[in-house]
Amino acid sequence: MARPEGPRILTAGDMGILVEFGDRYDPAINAAVLAFDGEFEKRRPDGVIETVPTFRSFLVRFDPLELPYERLKDMLREMLAARDWYQAGPPARSRKWVLPAVYGGMRGPDLGEVADLMGLREDQVIDSHAGAVLTVAMLGFAPGLAYLGQLPKIWDFPRRTTLNPEVPAGAVLVAVRQTVLPSTPIPTGWRQIARTPFRSFNPHSEIPFLLRPGDRVRFEPVDEAAYAAYAAYDMDALLHEEGS
Amino acid sequence: MSGLEILSIAATATVQDRGRPGYLRYGVTSSGAMDEYALAEGQVLLGNGRDDAALEFAGMGGRFRAHGAMWLASSGAEMDLRVNGAPQPWRQSFLLEQGDQLDIGAARSGVYGYLHVAGGFLTEKVLGSRSTLRRAGLGHRLEAGQVLPVGEQPREAVPVMLPPPTYFEQRRLRLLWGPQSEVFPKAERARLLAETITVTPQRDRMGMRLALQGGGIDAADGLTIASDAINLGDIQVTGDGTPTVLLADRGSSGGYPRIATVATADLPALVQIPSGQSFAFDLVNRQQAVEALARHRKMLAALPSMVVPVTRDPRDIGDLLSYNLISGVTDGGEFDPD
Repeated sequence: MARPEGPRILTAGDMGILVEFGDRYDPAINAAVLAFDGEFEKRRPDGVIETVPTFRSFLVRFDPLELPYERLKDMLREMLAARDWYQAGPPARSRKWVLPAVYGGMRGPDLGEVADLMGLREDQVIDSHAGAVLTVAMLGFAPGLAYLGQLPKIWDFPRRTTLNPEVPAGAVLVAVRQTVLPSTPIPTGWRQIARTPFRSFNPHSEIPFLLRPGDRVRFEPVDEAAYAAYAAYDMDALLHEEGS
Repeated sequence: MSGLEILSIAATATVQDRGRPGYLRYGVTSSGAMDEYALAEGQVLLGNGRDDAALEFAGMGGRFRAHGAMWLASSGAEMDLRVNGAPQPWRQSFLLEQGDQLDIGAARSGVYGYLHVAGGFLTEKVLGSRSTLRRAGLGHRLEAGQVLPVGEQPREAVPVMLPPPTYFEQRRLRLLWGPQSEVFPKAERARLLAETITVTPQRDRMGMRLALQGGGIDAADGLTIASDAINLGDIQVTGDGTPTVLLADRGSSGGYPRIATVATADLPALVQIPSGQSFAFDLVNRQQAVEALARHRKMLAALPSMVVPVTRDPRDIGDLLSYNLISGVTDGGEFDPD
């Protein structure tokens, strides 16, 4: 990995500070963000409204009349200096999910197109996708929508330039070595190779968001019968290991 | 069942309170009233709590009928308001009796008008807030035929009013550079400060598309960036050079670079600028924006002291002789239940 020039502390509006660890998605940069997020949560000062870890940065939204900018900035600077966050690696305690998915057919209408892009047979595409242990790099765009990385290099093809007006909740979408997993219907330029009955977001549940940044996810190919059976499950049951 | 029945309502109307901050990291933007000053006005007119929910109208209102007596108040952009067909002034509290019909028509100035009820509208709370986030299917979706549950009504109250605020005429807005400003050529950044900017009709609770006098903004080599979090008030520039201010219902993250951020204190003024009207940006530093925010908060805190009882215009009083005119004033009995 090329050493990123960072981290940098940047002002983001009058109620935000951005700690930028890099300018792109790279698992090492993302791991630095997630480790920093974990540490910040432990020492979160009064006046912080919310924090957002992303692929490459950490945003703190705060009330500058309650928490002076300089005090927050000093704290962030001190945290950055305390260790080399790029060496953080994957979180020691990360939760592992195994999510059933039906690949191809009506559950994955773009599987054939993706196989063509990758120069593989459809079963090889499924093996490669289901064989990868992915990490939740960030949540965003829509409630509970997870960006999962990082797939092998052969998955490095771009998104479509045109927008599919709607893919369903649970669509397993791929492009740029990532998988996107929405919990609500969304418009998208990503290609759908499978669908899972898993929904990370349920506003009426005691835990409205199941997937968290840093969680590990593996997809398990299943047939329609298993899909229907899982759909009736409590989604929590798909959490296989609480981490060690 | 007591409550406010919706006979008809504009498709752009939503339920809004102060929103649901704290879920941005899960992909949920906070929503909440587009104009927080107007939301506060309504709470003050009715003595409501800070978190009570109101109806937000984007330029057009609806027709309602009271089931049971209830105190309501209007705030924000001035709209045509009628009770049983009789025009009523804006930015006041008023009583609806059982069966009264309320009509809220088009906005006469500004964009976002609010209808508040004593105790707030008691629609379903999702993730701690009643705000409708339509894009994500969160919160109550308003439709004709519904009877909206309302809070407990005061036993005694008098109609009160607030003076109209001045920000509806504000056409200079404060702007800060942000983390991606340098992606844009210096000349393009200069244009954002120098040119007259027009609000286009492409606007909603997610964002407002702006048009610069000299055309779109050239983003040079920075058409997309690796996705990261979007702040309230960020001005995103898409591939075609269109600047869009991202607002309460924006996406939580995005990959288009943001050229600048509008100061929080000026967001109520920005969202109330009617489409087709123009304004200009003034560059400020962070310190100046925070000072403006402190002044804005002081204004909000001072709202309760600005409330005054509604005094009738003598021309509207039919039978002057029936009023107590000793000392030239009434005894106040008609307004004071005591």
